[in-house]
Amino acid sequence: MTTSLDPAVETVVPKPSRLSGGAASVLAAIRSFRSSSGTLPIGLGLLGFLVLTSLVSLIWTPYPPTATATGLFSSAPSAAHWFGTDAVGSDVFSRTISAGRTDVFYTVTAVAIALVIGSAWGAVAGFFGGWFETVTLRLLEVVQAFPALLMALLVISILGPGTFNVILVVAIIPLPDFVRLARAEVLTKKTWQFAEAARLVGNRPLVVLFKHLMPNSWRPLLAYASISAAWVCGNIAALGFIGVGIQPDAVEWGSMIARGESDVVAGAWWEALFPGLGVLVLAIGFQLVGDGIAARNRGEQR
Amino acid sequence: MAVEISAPPPHSLRGIAVPKVVNVIVRRVLGAILVIWGVVTLTFLLTRVFGGDPVNLFAPPSATAADRELIRERLGLADPIPVQYVDYLRDVIHGNLGTSYLTLRPVTADLLSRVPATAELATYALIFGVTLGVSVGVLSAVFEGSIFDRATRVFTSAGLALPQFWVALMLIVIFFDQLHVLPGPTGRMPIGMQPPPTVTGFYLIDSIITGHLSTFWPALRQLILPVLVLGYGVASPLARGARTSMILALKADYVRTARALGLSRSRTWFVYAFRNAILPVMTMFAGTVAWVFSGTVLIEGVFGWPGVGQYALNALENSDFPAIQGFVLYASILYVIIYQLLDIAYTFADPRIRS
Repeated sequence: MTTSLDPAVETVVPKPSRLSGGAASVLAAIRSFRSSSGTLPIGLGLLGFLVLTSLVSLIWTPYPPTATATGLFSSAPSAAHWFGTDAVGSDVFSRTISAGRTDVFYTVTAVAIALVIGSAWGAVAGFFGGWFETVTLRLLEVVQAFPALLMALLVISILGPGTFNVILVVAIIPLPDFVRLARAEVLTKKTWQFAEAARLVGNRPLVVLFKHLMPNSWRPLLAYASISAAWVCGNIAALGFIGVGIQPDAVEWGSMIARGESDVVAGAWWEALFPGLGVLVLAIGFQLVGDGIAARNRGEQR
Repeated sequence: MAVEISAPPPHSLRGIAVPKVVNVIVRRVLGAILVIWGVVTLTFLLTRVFGGDPVNLFAPPSATAADRELIRERLGLADPIPVQYVDYLRDVIHGNLGTSYLTLRPVTADLLSRVPATAELATYALIFGVTLGVSVGVLSAVFEGSIFDRATRVFTSAGLALPQFWVALMLIVIFFDQLHVLPGPTGRMPIGMQPPPTVTGFYLIDSIITGHLSTFWPALRQLILPVLVLGYGVASPLARGARTSMILALKADYVRTARALGLSRSRTWFVYAFRNAILPVMTMFAGTVAWVFSGTVLIEGVFGWPGVGQYALNALENSDFPAIQGFVLYASILYVIIYQLLDIAYTFADPRIRS
């Protein structure tokens, strides 16, 4: 969604300062912060919690996450096994917190790749226009005609499983959105006064684009990056669940759910519940952070 | 977007000049063909150029180089890539998607035999999801800030974040394992039960029109959980979109005018504001349809549903390239057609675009 603000107005409005203007404006600032980005601290809290459990799993888990027969097979949660055990007797708690490392790392890496490449691509297309832009838009149409997960499956089935391939594939899915978003941002802002000024003093086009335009466009992109991270971690889990993701039986939430699937149908709910909650917390955390950043962006534009 | 909507909503289809209609449709069809050609080419490049050597799937380890050449010849893989590409295009145009390495049947026949199962599931899921999503979104906009609105927000946030296959498994745990009220994941019919005679391929409809009413209830019970899961996934983004769009519409000048002129609250909300609010939501439908088709791959796997998605999953697990290619092609052609139809529908539904 592009902003409909008059560019001239935007450039002369000073940044809202929380220190000047007395108690009333401080109060207003606090109120606007709370109403517009109340989701941000909750989201950061959830993500922080996952990072913490992942770090803890580096130095301590009740049982080694890959060890089998640590207790009875498919036993329900108990004092010895907080989240129960799975079909081969691995400790579900140890695996769930260790798997957080894989899923969080894959998600962040994939989104970072999509964000950087997609934004640069879209920015260049929007800034220079011409045949590059036309080809880009046509290409995006073709790529987006594939339902996302199907495309991931196709590419994975060809490239084969593996860490690098999984990250690559889940990064390709949101990439077109970043291209579109960055293009739209640059298209709107390249006519604004600060961009014209940067051009008029003799900067080269690429300098104008990456030193002046992009720094003014990164916040909507960042908000979208966080929201798309919620989808990305779902896709990583889905690939793991189908068994074409990382190595089969990897310590990863989707693969854990797959391993538990047949037992779950027979009643061993704990084998799928806890890794699924991991995906849920990660996805909701990113979603809330994204919503929070987007709300703050809107709040400051108003 | 909807902020600038100020025209009163009631309108009819009269007044469309025919050449304009034809023009729009021709442009859309050409655009669709271009995109499908792009998809075909991309699939070809991915599987033939970057993909592994399918000969490995057929040749035993003891095969000599001559044997391998023979297999390559039989598969039509000995020609140069451009020749293969032209052959492939010609086959696709004739509806020939090759022979599955796994079932040894034509991929087209395999897919067609499995379409009804997926279509039945997807149709009910879309109807359920769109109805639920739009009505929940509109109501939470009308009652913005209420408890209903907040509860909806939690419901849709979870719907956007939850992995569907996991929701499916948890529902099986609750309704099959714990409560024993719904059947387990055994596909379209309980184990050992015959489906109704095929007329449309939709079990519910077939059981009514052929008079096999005894199969209606079991088939319906099999459908409940997968439809619920897919529909929930459809409803969540739509509810979000409908809410945003409806809030904007409710704040528009014409709504205030209509109220000031004495129209009832419900008429203003559900006729005037709703008709304007629903247009931007309609553009989301195409994405929703694509989403359902992605979703069926995993959901059919979980519920043992003998549809196209499960076929694709089997093909993936066994490197059955013709079947994978065929499935991707089928899914994207379907998607492009639906997308274009919706786009045309959108053009006609919105008087501002039409004129």
